Amino acid sequence: MSSLYERVGGQKAVDAAVELFYRNVLADGRIARFFDGVNMDDQIAKQKSFLTMAFGGPNKYTGHDMRNAHKKLVAKGLNDTHVDAVIENLNRTLRQLGVGEKEVKEVAALADSVRSDVLNR
Amino acid sequence: MTRLIYKDRPVELSPGETVLEALERAGVDAPSSCRAGNCQTCLHRAIEGAPPPESQSGLTAAQKALGFFLPCVCRPTEPLTIVPPDDAGARLEATVRAIEPLSHDVVRLRIETTPFPYRPGQFIELIADEDLRRHYSLASHPEEDPFLEMHIRLHPNGRMSRRLMVDMKPGHRLHVAGPRGTCFYEGVDPEQPLALIGAGTGLAPLYGVLRDALRQGHRGEIRLYHGARDSKGLYLTEELQTLAQTRDNVRYIAAALDPNAPFGGDIAALALAEEKPRLTQTAYFLCGGENLVRRLKRDLFMAGASMKAIRSDVFSPA
Repeated sequence: MSSLYERVGGQKAVDAAVELFYRNVLADGRIARFFDGVNMDDQIAKQKSFLTMAFGGPNKYTGHDMRNAHKKLVAKGLNDTHVDAVIENLNRTLRQLGVGEKEVKEVAALADSVRSDVLNR
Repeated sequence: MTRLIYKDRPVELSPGETVLEALERAGVDAPSSCRAGNCQTCLHRAIEGAPPPESQSGLTAAQKALGFFLPCVCRPTEPLTIVPPDDAGARLEATVRAIEPLSHDVVRLRIETTPFPYRPGQFIELIADEDLRRHYSLASHPEEDPFLEMHIRLHPNGRMSRRLMVDMKPGHRLHVAGPRGTCFYEGVDPEQPLALIGAGTGLAPLYGVLRDALRQGHRGEIRLYHGARDSKGLYLTEELQTLAQTRDNVRYIAAALDPNAPFGGDIAALALAEEKPRLTQTAYFLCGGENLVRRLKRDLFMAGASMKAIRSDVFSPA
């Protein structure tokens, strides 16, 4: 049984998804404001880390970093509906890349597993 | 055992250990996050020795050329001397050679110093005094000019501006440090179109990049966009017009803010409209104030340009 990371296409899939995902997120009026003023190059690198983790790829995920990164945003009103919107954009990105529904669901579940860290709960 | 030097001090590196692990064990306060070579939080630079290719994965061609690497996935195969990413390097003595007006509020400063390697479009720190230092981009070319050239906007109340106007006659001594920055001609296909977009003294690095591209035999079209608040702020216009006339592949598009001009004379809006049909093939260089660069970067990216194709240099206000 091959891993989720292999099934979605590994490193190549991350590279293909990262800009598409970022464009989708920035174009989504529900969450775009949370990205105001961020350095886009840094953000792309962070998105790459997040997608690698969500695709089940090699990572050393620590909730600590996720909490720190989103602390200020929680103060700005980041809540469950925004996390839902991000996961929705992630699903859409994967479908745009032709990833199968089964894998889309698995990726969404992995992304959802960091919800508490993101929302600092 | 492979030798590792961090800022002049030897760091013990055990077999199989990553540079990040060695730095942490040596008590160096090195930032890190993903520890898997993705997030680039731990970025450092090798000033001697070549980091292994896998430790440069995901970095730009310019970063690779300067020796940047990711310590969290770097297991060195040869001796490395490394510094933090924003390390300005050694200070050099320099002498003012010429200072001339380019427009009503921009001067061209040329200084001489012991030659050091740099890429046109990078920036140096100009140190007039311990407490008076500014970053300026290099418009000169190391293989063509026996001096470093900078274009500096004069601010009526700026301390460096006053120093430039009052003290800096030819022969005046000062110091420089650097070079730094990754906004230079590297990792570009010679057939690829280039778009150089800047405002005000953002022209300095773009002028450097343009000269470097031509010197390296760039064959694709080069479109240089220069914007200013008013037409007095457009400088080097004759030289750039002549260049565009004599070179088949160079176009020069200048605009000053004016409600009656196309797009109100806003260089970012003008460039975006012009670039839209060619976004996916072009390499972009964006230089100028933070608002302009941010806006352009976002608009170009949202319109379909890859972030990998966008190089930028933001000028912080003096």
